[in-house]
Amino acid sequence: MKSSNQYWKGIDELEQTPEFVESEGREFYEGLPLDKVFSNDDSFRANRRDFLKFFGFSVGAVALAACNKTPVKYAMPYAIHPDNVTPGVPLHYASSSISDYEGFPMLVKVREGRPIKFEPNKEAEFYGGGLDGLAHASILSLYDTNRTPGAQKKIETAYDSIEWAEADEAIMKGLSSAASSGKQIAVVSRSSTSLLLKSAVEKLNEKYGNVVHVNYEPVSYSGILHANEQSFGKKAIPAYHFGKADVIVSFGADFLGTWISPVRFSADWGKNRVPKNGKMSKHIQFESLMSLSGANADVRVPMTASSTGAHLVTLYNELLQLAGSSMVSGPKKELAGQAIKHAAEDLWKARGKSLVVSGSNDVNDQIIVNAINTLLGNYGTTIDMNNHFNGYSGDDSSFKKFTSDVNSGRVGAAIFVDANPSYSHKSFGSLLSKIPLTVSNALIMDETARSCTYLTPDLHALESWDIKEPYVGSYVFNQPTIGPVFQGRQIAESLMVWSGQSNSASGDKTYTYELTKSIFDSKIGGDFNKAIERGFLMSTASASPVSLGVSPADAASKIGARKTSETNLVLYQKVGVRDGYFANTPWAHEMPDPVTKVCWDNYLSISKPDADKAGLKDGDVAKVTANGVTLDSIPVLIQPGQARGTYGIALGYGRMLPESVQNDLKDLGQNVYPMVDHSGNTCNYVISEGVSVEKVEGAYELARTQSHHTIEGRNIVREASLDAYNEDPYVTNHHKHNLVSLWEEHDYSKGHHWAMAIDLNSCTGCSACIVSCSIENNVPIVGRTEIRRRREMHWIRIDRYYSFEVPQAATVHIDKIMGDAEVSEGDYLTEEKKINNYTEDTSDALYDNVKVVHQPMLCQHCDHAPCETVCPVLATTHSGEGLNQMTYNRCIGTKYCANNCPYKVRRFNWFRFNENKKFDYHFSNDLGKMVINPDVTVRSRGVMEKCSFCVQRIQSAKLQAKREDRKMESDEFTTACAQTCPSKAIVFGDLNDPKSEISKLYNNERSYHVIEELDTKPSIVYMTKIRNKKEKSNNHVAHH
Amino acid sequence: MYEPKTKILNTLILLALSGALNTASANSQNMSSFYSESTLLAVIILSAVLLLISGLLWGIKNNLKAMHAKDNPEDASPSIMERIKAKTSHWNPTIATLAIAGILIVVLGAFGYKYGMDEVGVQQGYSPDQPINFSHKIHAGQYNIDCKYCHSTVEKSKSASIPALNTCMNCHKYVQAREKYNDNISPEIQKIYDAIGWDGEAMEYKEDYEVKPIKWVRIHNLPDLAYFNHSQHVVVGNLECQTCHGPIEEMDKVYQFSTLQMGWCIDCHRERGIDAENNDYYEEVHKNMVIDGKDYITVAQNGGLECGKCHY
Repeated sequence: MKSSNQYWKGIDELEQTPEFVESEGREFYEGLPLDKVFSNDDSFRANRRDFLKFFGFSVGAVALAACNKTPVKYAMPYAIHPDNVTPGVPLHYASSSISDYEGFPMLVKVREGRPIKFEPNKEAEFYGGGLDGLAHASILSLYDTNRTPGAQKKIETAYDSIEWAEADEAIMKGLSSAASSGKQIAVVSRSSTSLLLKSAVEKLNEKYGNVVHVNYEPVSYSGILHANEQSFGKKAIPAYHFGKADVIVSFGADFLGTWISPVRFSADWGKNRVPKNGKMSKHIQFESLMSLSGANADVRVPMTASSTGAHLVTLYNELLQLAGSSMVSGPKKELAGQAIKHAAEDLWKARGKSLVVSGSNDVNDQIIVNAINTLLGNYGTTIDMNNHFNGYSGDDSSFKKFTSDVNSGRVGAAIFVDANPSYSHKSFGSLLSKIPLTVSNALIMDETARSCTYLTPDLHALESWDIKEPYVGSYVFNQPTIGPVFQGRQIAESLMVWSGQSNSASGDKTYTYELTKSIFDSKIGGDFNKAIERGFLMSTASASPVSLGVSPADAASKIGARKTSETNLVLYQKVGVRDGYFANTPWAHEMPDPVTKVCWDNYLSISKPDADKAGLKDGDVAKVTANGVTLDSIPVLIQPGQARGTYGIALGYGRMLPESVQNDLKDLGQNVYPMVDHSGNTCNYVISEGVSVEKVEGAYELARTQSHHTIEGRNIVREASLDAYNEDPYVTNHHKHNLVSLWEEHDYSKGHHWAMAIDLNSCTGCSACIVSCSIENNVPIVGRTEIRRRREMHWIRIDRYYSFEVPQAATVHIDKIMGDAEVSEGDYLTEEKKINNYTEDTSDALYDNVKVVHQPMLCQHCDHAPCETVCPVLATTHSGEGLNQMTYNRCIGTKYCANNCPYKVRRFNWFRFNENKKFDYHFSNDLGKMVINPDVTVRSRGVMEKCSFCVQRIQSAKLQAKREDRKMESDEFTTACAQTCPSKAIVFGDLNDPKSEISKLYNNERSYHVIEELDTKPSIVYMTKIRNKKEKSNNHVAHH
Repeated sequence: MYEPKTKILNTLILLALSGALNTASANSQNMSSFYSESTLLAVIILSAVLLLISGLLWGIKNNLKAMHAKDNPEDASPSIMERIKAKTSHWNPTIATLAIAGILIVVLGAFGYKYGMDEVGVQQGYSPDQPINFSHKIHAGQYNIDCKYCHSTVEKSKSASIPALNTCMNCHKYVQAREKYNDNISPEIQKIYDAIGWDGEAMEYKEDYEVKPIKWVRIHNLPDLAYFNHSQHVVVGNLECQTCHGPIEEMDKVYQFSTLQMGWCIDCHRERGIDAENNDYYEEVHKNMVIDGKDYITVAQNGGLECGKCHY
């Protein structure tokens, strides 16, 4: 039964478009073409002779195939067995995440010398013990067939392989001539915290002199850097502690998704999101686009991006007023419902335990943020300037100086280290020809490498040694987990060779090890082996308050003088793709965006009122002009909750990949880095001048999983306000159904009983679990076209639901029978208050204020599983430990189970992805196959598959306990999704173990089963989402 | 009017084929697990009795007919062949051929499945030539070397693992079997030396030698869809290697001793007990284990027959 219109996944569901209604109830979008076969259409008519031909051929072919001899298989043991390797047993090495460039501890799971999966380093508590989707997906960059195989030299337009010695000689000659002509030698790197690189650059400077190290960051945080330099004399990003804050106010900083260090922030944020003693943190988000952080906020108010500064000044003045100080002169700009005033009151009450952050890259905005946090006394508690962050040190102004140096011919040589400015900087590509010697260490031929004279491919991070210093005094170590897959050489070693420190052109395998060890001994000291084994070292000095060394009034008046515009284009990063550096990692692109649920492409996101005005709808294409750059056609996506007048396009797309890439990654999306505004001191990602959007002819279907597997209006999400929860902890979970069962109950009294709890309160929807699960369970990448056909293979998905929130008290017309009704601010619209008959104006306002709930959905491992009873071949059965098992070799692919699953979590495998060259991702080539988990079957086409609760991990943990003759602790292992979850929203364990965390959560007052009225008795409980919001308890669970 | 007939035909053939498949699967090896032998015996006796009765009745009927024909010659019925001809003359030849072919496929298929297909893919007795004529009889039998000395990961891993060359070299640095080959190094041992680069005369490793791993022919080929773990069986289950691999210490050339069919696995899981007494893991987990009829807990009672224990 439809419960209410309370939750909806997309506008098509809300408006109940005919296409949506048609596809809603179908498990399989495309039926079999039976009507065509039985029609009189000649092309489909079965002809008797044809039939007999095929019949005869199949019988013959089967007979012939059966006569074939069984193929002979071989087994090749090691020639010389490495001491620490046991074939069949994984080893875990501590290392550092590849996608978190500044250094982020993680473990690498290695099987027989092959890294097959990344896992969070749970010992590194400071970093949160999680890992995001991109970090997981980036493992494919190791097994990328497109990697540059060895040193290469550009001859005219093509590249030729050369010996390393030859490359070294030529590069050293080039460097010497640059030095002798008095020109600069530039090392252009991504903002690196690597001690190896730092010391190698120093050595290079010793040899040639005039070496400059330019840190370049495609998406920069220069605003914060400069503001902190002016405010506190430290040009660095502080360490933020969201977990210590009772009130968090963010002005457009997507700290749970993309801002600075989202995994650590999510973990920290999650600590204070589960109500304890009636208290939890309050998260207020003012933002223009719908970001992941906004989706998780208690209060989210749309804000025009270009007036962030004005809103910040307004907040500052409100706080000054509360503090009894005199206000600074500057713009005053409130938000809907006096949101800033309310936020100021909340912040003031939580002084010293609050946190204000802003995603703006403007120095003055960030100075006001600093002033606010200083006024609130947050330095030393929630913000730590002493143990500051070293990452993202890339400074726009120094890169600007570098480009002008290049332009005026003052740069004689440039070595690009993981930096790709030709792609992400609009004017840099054309300047490259002005540098006589250009060298790139890129692993794959990227935009910058394409115009470099020498390619000296680096070793992959998994093949390298390194020491990184992400926070002052805290180190993260990198150790090789595999021998070099290609003929690369680590860049630090290359630089040492070019500075005459080493002449290991022949490839001295121990050089970087010795270098790392000597740097460790001189800079850090202590037991090197222990440090490498653990993967990180923490030493945190106590945080102390700091005093503001800059006048906020100046900043406020500068903000006041700034032009603002009602029409803005916001260039943002997507959670899975980030700045686009890992363009060739299909897992990251296959992961649906947590908010829009779009896979693969980027698009123009637009608010509903703006779209209506411009006559745009989902699937249209538009022409966008901003900052003098025009995109001729980009797909349009209507984003509920987006601020009116704001458009958004994601950065990181439109990469130019090596020509050998011929899959969906080729020409993926469009590059909007050229639209970034470089006119100021710092880059501006909010474009407010010359923004125009117009509809053009054409249509483009985005691969979007939003409306796939809808739950057909059933009430499966439960949420309540903190006040209502404090009044009654069982707030949404009172209604119990009288259920009669046809089935016998399973007896779980002996052995284990596996179960899972998913806390909707701490789940941010970041989708790391999706990628982690895919890698653990050999889930294939299906590509854009198959996702459009609703054939994504993910075993776990995250359903994202919107609901409306009435922005202010109003009288609304409900329907003919009920007439008008009063609704008050913060009300949900429920069954009785359908939005269908809203007037236009109100409906626009509604779209500004949507609330979002994320709900991970995976096989519920029901005790009374509907899938089990319909399988004609008993391929899906129940285990004595509560698992719903799927036996692929029994499955004949009737799909009855998927049709009978109320949770829609079964996936049919349509293709032989591991052999089919049409799916040219890692799964179908020999190098990419290295990443396959040998403990999990690679499924063939024609079978149904689904979440197994990581049964391979359960079995292996049990076996280990049995072998070691000991009791098993249920918390000694966990599933891939729970393991990686940054905010610890997923807990897995044994209900029969009274000490386990799951046995405490399973009967928690917030726990409920989804669609429990069907009496499927799932093994997964969800925990009611509690929002820290003042509102009366109007949360009744509507049901049939 | 031709199309509908074709359609019906196609459908019929599909039905017949699926019928054949169903019959085949019902006849499969699991029969014995569903019916006890006494039931089978009862069915056979019953069928025999029924056949006897129908035979008697048929005889009586024929006698009566013959007596009737003697009295009334004009009522004599046509011969059997004539009767068949009269009935089949108006049959559609295509349908008739296909129907007969269909019945034959079903019947022969069922027989084929029962007596032939059952063995497809079973490599019991498989004994291929190996790159080195390694004799388990000499090593494990004559010299009594513990299996685990070479198959050293059998207690730690899913794989027992074929030893690396350096394991061979632990003995064969010195053991060269010259006494059997006129004071020359045994040609089989020489193969190890060639692979790892040992100079048997100078008794030293050759410098910068590119080692070549030995490419053994795999004898025991379990399909990828079945997960098998040696350590589970050897350490936890306390099985001897010989239980599955047979009298390996008597084999000059190794052959596959067991069928490695699922039924073979299952049979053992049904019978064998768990050593719950001596393993602390089971102590806690199986406090409430109900033991029905047996004085020990079988693997099956502990869930050892569940699909998901081996197939994932």
